[in-house]
Amino acid sequence: MTSESRPETLTPARPNRVLVTGVSNPLGAEVARRLAPHVPHLFGCDRKDPTSALEEMDFVHADTRHVAIGKLVRRLKVDTVVHLAVMVDSPQDERSIHETDVIGTMNILAGCSGPSGHVRRLIVKSSQAIYGAGPTDPSFFSEDMTNSEWPAPSVTRDLLDMEQLITEFAVRNQSCSVSVMRLGFRVSEDTTLARYLSLPIVPTFAGFDPRLQLLHEEDAAEAIVRAVLGHHPGVFNVAAGGVVLLSQAIAIMGGRPAPILPPYGRWIGRLALRALARVEMQAHLADVIAFGSVMDCSKLEAEFGWKAAYTSRAVIDGLARGKTLEVIEAPSPPQEYELQVYLQRRRRANRNGQRAAPVLEAHR
Amino acid sequence: MIEAKTAKQRRKASQPAEIVKPRPGPELMKSVKRLQRQAPLLAFQGLSELSVRLRQLTGRDVIDLNRVMEVAHFVYKQQQLARRGPNYEVDDFGFDPQWTESFLSVFTVLYRDYWRVETTGIENVPATGRALLVSNHAGVLPWDGTMIKTAVFAEHPHPRHVRALVANLFMGMPMLSWFLRRTGQTVGHPDDTRRLLERDELVLVFPEGVRGTGKGFKDRYRLRRFGRGGFVATAIKSGAPIIPVSVVGSEEIYPMVADLAPVARFLGLPYFPITPTWPWLGPLGMIPLPSKWRIQFHAPIHVEKHPPEAADDNNLVMALADEVRDTIQQGIYDNLKLRRGVFL
Repeated sequence: MTSESRPETLTPARPNRVLVTGVSNPLGAEVARRLAPHVPHLFGCDRKDPTSALEEMDFVHADTRHVAIGKLVRRLKVDTVVHLAVMVDSPQDERSIHETDVIGTMNILAGCSGPSGHVRRLIVKSSQAIYGAGPTDPSFFSEDMTNSEWPAPSVTRDLLDMEQLITEFAVRNQSCSVSVMRLGFRVSEDTTLARYLSLPIVPTFAGFDPRLQLLHEEDAAEAIVRAVLGHHPGVFNVAAGGVVLLSQAIAIMGGRPAPILPPYGRWIGRLALRALARVEMQAHLADVIAFGSVMDCSKLEAEFGWKAAYTSRAVIDGLARGKTLEVIEAPSPPQEYELQVYLQRRRRANRNGQRAAPVLEAHR
Repeated sequence: MIEAKTAKQRRKASQPAEIVKPRPGPELMKSVKRLQRQAPLLAFQGLSELSVRLRQLTGRDVIDLNRVMEVAHFVYKQQQLARRGPNYEVDDFGFDPQWTESFLSVFTVLYRDYWRVETTGIENVPATGRALLVSNHAGVLPWDGTMIKTAVFAEHPHPRHVRALVANLFMGMPMLSWFLRRTGQTVGHPDDTRRLLERDELVLVFPEGVRGTGKGFKDRYRLRRFGRGGFVATAIKSGAPIIPVSVVGSEEIYPMVADLAPVARFLGLPYFPITPTWPWLGPLGMIPLPSKWRIQFHAPIHVEKHPPEAADDNNLVMALADEVRDTIQQGIYDNLKLRRGVFL
């Protein structure tokens, strides 16, 4: 493909060939599912197998941390890249999060840049974690602000690095419109925050009751799809309207707040959480549950003409309802299967006059 | 929004019964139970009879039953608030109006009986719409803010909540930050001020900041520098009139004779005061002295007649800031003359 075939206008046409990175996580799968009816050619790539099969999508096993991803972007001749392979709330270690967020994005940008690139539109998932959370922060974060605390948590630093790379890319490649979506904290999937709020007794930082702002999974996917199908260059905060206090959220979830974590020294609180509740609270989330973090989404509303359908309270209500249903329901099929196996083994062992072996070891 | 009731029922059904249900205590006798139920009424009846007897004996009101009713009302309100559970709304700044109103009745007692505040010019505070209250700041702890809030809520024909801006230093403190946020205060950041004014709120700002509260007793009623005039620029941009407020009496609640700067630096505080009672008497030293207060709300300075671009005109901004400062200083001198004595 030569450079003559490139459109002269900066406004790209409707996306034709779209690559979604990180399609195997729930958000990526949802975005791909919503994009499929609107896009002629849809490609998806991830390290893991996709969770749900999508007939309209071509799936490729590819790791963004590898340089080959740039070649993939060029060979597939995609005109739109939806970069969702950005880890924010992940049980993996700091090193691999840094590799995925910074190096992975760098490889994607390498594939998009240069005169031989075909990419006209780049949508990158970022996070509210980029602002950090601290006592000196204003009540609302707008897009032009950055983290003021130093030293910043590692995820915040990685996201700042990543957005720095994207800003440089956007300046150098004027023909490509770049949208960065700073998504709010989500609790609908199996996130750290959801696990923390689901505890029966929730340890909180003594003397603090911060405001939480959340984002529903559906709203996150909808915002990204709207960014892909529309033309909205820039950085956008995406979060639910309204706030909910941490104590309110815990009460809605049916738990009980226990203000036992020390108010100073967030790392002691994190260690205590790990020891008491087996919740691996990341540093940026520990700051959030101490001081709270709320974004101002007026720019998104003005530019997209759309705002999140769920309020923060509705998000937490939904989570509480889901949790309740999960508990009310009968044991899920795998558990039932295990139970059957266990009972069968026990019966057999009784017949033979032996003790039953633990079922877990039998399955190893 | 889901139906709170059904969700609650589901939640109750979902949890093991021993967590949801309170442990049954020892079974009380029926007569004890009846007494427990009727105790508040009996106590009030006894008190009223006692007050009548005391009036007959001494010839004046020893027990004021209105005060007793106020206390009972406060307790009742707190019980009601506890019954809300999580079913209440806070605004985006974390302000809970119902909860704040229940506490304002406590501050009203301080306002009326302890400091005997006389408020003038309350008609200058608009009943609706945005306005920026600018006040002098004094006393080691910011009691003047709570008294201005109480004055507007208790004395104004259309009670309104004043949203004060506090130094971001206090937002990192446990308990205090929680209390300040919940009662409607927010960080002293230009963006926060603008957002509050755009929502047509009454915003209270102390341009002197900790320089005002941390000044010694010998400097009382001498205004410090008014920041860099940022409050004027914000008011012009948001189109809000500025209402200067002079507070007299707040300087005498903690007469600060010295400031231990090294201790303050070690504790991360802006100042560490030494008063005749603090820190010698321990927590008792934190009880403020019962000085006589006067609060005057001055006529509004209509900065909103300037176009928003005027906020960048430093000359105009500084001139307006000086005008506000002079009004407040003059108001302080006037009210000091009207006061008969420090504690009268």
